[in-house]
Amino acid sequence: MASFSRVHQQVRQYEVFARKAREEPLRQVGSVVAPDDDLAQAYARATYDEERWVELVIVPSEAVIRLWAPGEDGSGSG
Amino acid sequence: MSLATLVQSLADNKQLLGLRYAEWCTAAPTLEADIAGAAMGLDDLGHSRVLHGSLRELGEADAERDPTSPEHYLNVAYLDQPWSNWNQFVAANAVLDTAFTLMIEALANGKVEVLRSRLRKMLQEEHYHYLHGRSWLRQGGGNPEVGRAFEEAVEWFGPEGGEVDQFHKAGQLTAGVADLRSSLGERVAIAAPPVPADWARWDPRRRRTRPGGIDARTFEMLRGLEEKRYMPAGGERKDS
Repeated sequence: MASFSRVHQQVRQYEVFARKAREEPLRQVGSVVAPDDDLAQAYARATYDEERWVELVIVPSEAVIRLWAPGEDGSGSG
Repeated sequence: MSLATLVQSLADNKQLLGLRYAEWCTAAPTLEADIAGAAMGLDDLGHSRVLHGSLRELGEADAERDPTSPEHYLNVAYLDQPWSNWNQFVAANAVLDTAFTLMIEALANGKVEVLRSRLRKMLQEEHYHYLHGRSWLRQGGGNPEVGRAFEEAVEWFGPEGGEVDQFHKAGQLTAGVADLRSSLGERVAIAAPPVPADWARWDPRRRRTRPGGIDARTFEMLRGLEEKRYMPAGGERKDS
């Protein structure tokens, strides 16, 4: 087993969203993990810049409010 | 010194910075930093190509350039040798890369048309180099390499009242030495180091006080000699 040491004391996950044309909706293309917003932007740009996006945004995963998840019906009753 | 020599120095520094970043693209502390190192390396090699390509329009390039000597590269001493630790990478990324960006900004906003039109895209890419360097600089407690990087950046800007200030007065640059120094301090949130007193040792062509040049392996790679070692016997290209 490889052993891993923690490089950053605290990290956050950020979801990455992008679109290729103005008329398209933003869609999630992946995520990055970084200790702050600066590095998250640098990592998102370095990792996801291969395609010609017209827009690329990142959102801290903890800011996403999930109404329901796969397998849940979303009615609030179950 | 001409403006072309300054651009030549910027181009040489960018080429070496790109190579040094690339040397770390499998050795950074995290996989994300590996990827960012590779991306920044590609950016800087691309910037170097554009800057070299602008030299023809700027007039005569460096007449003293001798392609067989490592000293012909107009680079800061910080880039002479491969970096042996991550702090060196971070200090170069945060301080030297930002110093070069400040000069590119001053050229891109100046009145030389070829530079106004070609340098703009570099600034967009450099924004992410800045964010990367600034964040890594904040990690951990202090970076012992920053002092040297800052000192070499100040040397690279040159002495007050020198050619950079003359280019500024002529409108070719929108910032002079004092502006460049204070902007660098603000961007990396570090007080500017004392300005070297001994400008007598400063080489105006290479914009540095330290002697020496690029290590032999890097120099051979830049000249294509390193690659030739791996060429199969008899593999020399024959043009018929």
